[in-house]
Amino acid sequence: MSTTLQALTANDLRTGEVVFRAAEGWTGRFAEAQLFSDPLDARAELDLAALETVRLADPYLIDVVVTDGFASPTSFRERIRALGPTVREDLGPQTEGGPRVEALRRSHAAARSAGRLGLIRKR
Amino acid sequence: MFIYDAIDAAMLKDRNAEFRDQVARRLSGDLTEAQFKPLRLMNGLYLQLHSYMLRVAIPYGSLNPNQLRALAQVARRWDRGYGHFTTRQNLQFHWTRLSDAPDILDHLATVGLHAIQTSGNCIRNTTSDPFAGAAADEADDARVWCEAIRQWSSFHPEFTYLPRKFKIAVTASATDRAAVRAHDIGLVLHRNAEGRLGFEVIVGGGLGRTPFIGKTIREHLPAEHLLSYLTAILRIYNLEGRRDNLYKARIKILVESLGAAAFAEKVEAEWAAMDRARIDLPDEELARIRASFGLIAYKKDPGARAAFEADKAQDRSFARFVRNNVAAHKHPDYAIVSVSLKAVGETPGDASADQMDVVAHLGETYGHGDIRVTHAQNLVLPHVPLRDVRAVYEKLSESGLATPNIDLASDIIACPGLDYCALANARAIPISQDIARRFSDPDRAEAVGELKIKISGCINACGHHHLGHIGILGVDKKGEEFFQFTLGGSGAEDAAVGQALGPAVPADKVADTVERLADAYLHLRAPGERFLDTVRRLGVGPFKAAAYADADPA
Repeated sequence: MSTTLQALTANDLRTGEVVFRAAEGWTGRFAEAQLFSDPLDARAELDLAALETVRLADPYLIDVVVTDGFASPTSFRERIRALGPTVREDLGPQTEGGPRVEALRRSHAAARSAGRLGLIRKR
Repeated sequence: MFIYDAIDAAMLKDRNAEFRDQVARRLSGDLTEAQFKPLRLMNGLYLQLHSYMLRVAIPYGSLNPNQLRALAQVARRWDRGYGHFTTRQNLQFHWTRLSDAPDILDHLATVGLHAIQTSGNCIRNTTSDPFAGAAADEADDARVWCEAIRQWSSFHPEFTYLPRKFKIAVTASATDRAAVRAHDIGLVLHRNAEGRLGFEVIVGGGLGRTPFIGKTIREHLPAEHLLSYLTAILRIYNLEGRRDNLYKARIKILVESLGAAAFAEKVEAEWAAMDRARIDLPDEELARIRASFGLIAYKKDPGARAAFEADKAQDRSFARFVRNNVAAHKHPDYAIVSVSLKAVGETPGDASADQMDVVAHLGETYGHGDIRVTHAQNLVLPHVPLRDVRAVYEKLSESGLATPNIDLASDIIACPGLDYCALANARAIPISQDIARRFSDPDRAEAVGELKIKISGCINACGHHHLGHIGILGVDKKGEEFFQFTLGGSGAEDAAVGQALGPAVPADKVADTVERLADAYLHLRAPGERFLDTVRRLGVGPFKAAAYADADPA
C-alpha cells in the first residue's frame, strides 16, 4: 500500500543546505519533514515559506510516497537531494546513516529496478 | 605564465568588495532572491541540488602552482576537500556556503583567480589547447591571443547582456585539442602561404538541444585584426540574435537561419565600416602580453633520451604510461605529461586538495611552474624535461594520478549530472564509473585504443555527448534514468555530431552496451582504424545490431 503526500523543501539561504519543513521550524533530515495530505495545507505552508526570504532560497513542494511505513520523495532527484550524492556516500545528509537513511536508499534502488529491464527492444 | 597587472588586481578587489556588500544585503534581507540571483550568478555562484556551487574561472585552462595550491586551500578550508574540473577548463566547488563566498573570492584574488565570466549572458572564459606553448605543431602560442581576448572581453560594456552566453575557443595547432568547432566562435591560428599569422574564424558551433558544428566564415583573418573582427561578429549577434526564446538564442541558431554566407556578409560589412584601429590590439600591447608569458630557457640534455628509453625498456608500467599519457614537446629533450583525473572508480574531473597540492608541487619542481586543465577534465604538465618524466610518473602514481588512459575508453568525460546538478535528468558519474571498470584492464583498454566516451546528464550537453565517439545522454523516463547512445561524434579537427544508435537503455545496461560496441569494433575494424574510423566507414548499422543483439523482440 502506498499513499501520496507532499513535503515542503528549500535550500538554506546562508549555507545552501537542503532543508525540509518540520512540525516546528526547518530540518535537514527528510525523516523529520512534515507530510501534508491536503494539498491546500501544503500550499499554505509554501506561501508562508515564501515570506521567509532571509532564511530560505527557492522553497517548493515535492511529492512523497509512503511505502511500508517509510516515507520517501517520489522523484529520483528529490531522493538524491534528501540523501546527498550517490557517488559520495561520505557527503550530505546520508552520512548520518541509520534505518531511515537506509530506507531512503532502498526506495531509490527499488525505483531503479522496477522490473523494467526488458525495455531494450529491436525496432 | 601571464601575471595579472595592477589594473587586473584593482578590478578584482573592487569586484569582490561589491559582491561582499551584495551578499551582506541579501543575508540581511535588503535584497530579495529575485534581485540577488543575477548578481550571484555574475560571480559564478549557482544554487544546485545540495548546496551552492562556485565556478572558478581558469582562463584558457592555465594555472601556476600557487593558483592550484590556493584552489586546494579553498577545497580544504571552505569546501569538502575536493574540486571538480569541467569541460570548460574551469573548476567547480560543489559545497560552497553563501556566507563564505566573499572570503573565498578574496582568497582566490590573492593569486589572481576569480569567478568572472563563468556565468551570465556574457562572453565566457575563453578556452584553449592545453598543450599551447609546448606543442610541436603549433603556429603560435594560443595563450597570447586568449589573454588578449580575456582583457578585451572582461566586463565588455557592449557585450555583457548578450541574447545568451557566448563561448570562444582558440587553438594554434592542426590537431584540435580544444573542440573549437563546437563553440560559438572557434579560432584556428595558422600561417598562410606567405607565412603570415592569421585565424580561421569558425562561427555557430554548439551543443545542447540543437547541436551544430561551426561554419568557417573566414579562412584567414590577419591575426592583428582579431579583436575588431570578434567585435563585428558579436555586434551582429547582439543585434540580430533572438531574445524571445531561450532555446533559440545562441548564435548557432542565427547562423543557421541566415545561412553562414549571409551571416559572414553582415559581419564583413560591419567590420568594414568600423574604426578597427580603436579596437584592435596595439602592437606594443601584444608584445607586452607575449613577453609576460616568458620564454622558457629550455636546456639541452643530450643523454636524456637514452636514459628515458632505458627506463621504458625496464619498466612496462612506465612504458605504458608514456605510450598513453606523454606527448611530444616542441623541444626534443622535453615532454608534455598528462595527469589523468580518471582513475577507475573515481569521479571524472574530481581532484582532492592533496592531489592538487601534488600536481602544484610537480609543476613547480619539474614543470617550469606551468599547469593546464583540459576540456577532457584532466590536467597537463606541459614542460617536463625528459629526464624527469620518470620521477613525475612515480610521484603521480603515489597519488592515484598516473592512470595510463588518456583518450582510452576509461578516460570518460562526464558532467556532474543528477548527483549534483539542478538541471540534470539523470546521473552521469556512476555511469562513467561502471564503464571505466569494464576497461580497467589496461591491456584491454589499449587493445581497443582511442575511444572517447562522453556522458551528459541532460540535453544541455555539458558532458559533450554529441562529440563522443560514443556519446551517452541521460534522460528521465517516468522517473527512471535511461540513456540514449550516439556514435561517430568528434570534437577534434574531424568534428562531427554523433548519430543516434537506437532506443535508450536503462542505467544498468549502459556498460554492457559500451562493451558490445567495443567488441563489435574489434571484430569489424580494418588495420589501423580507430573506433571512430570504423563507425564512419560502416555507419551505425552493424553497431546497432551488436548493441541490441539480445534485446527482447518488439
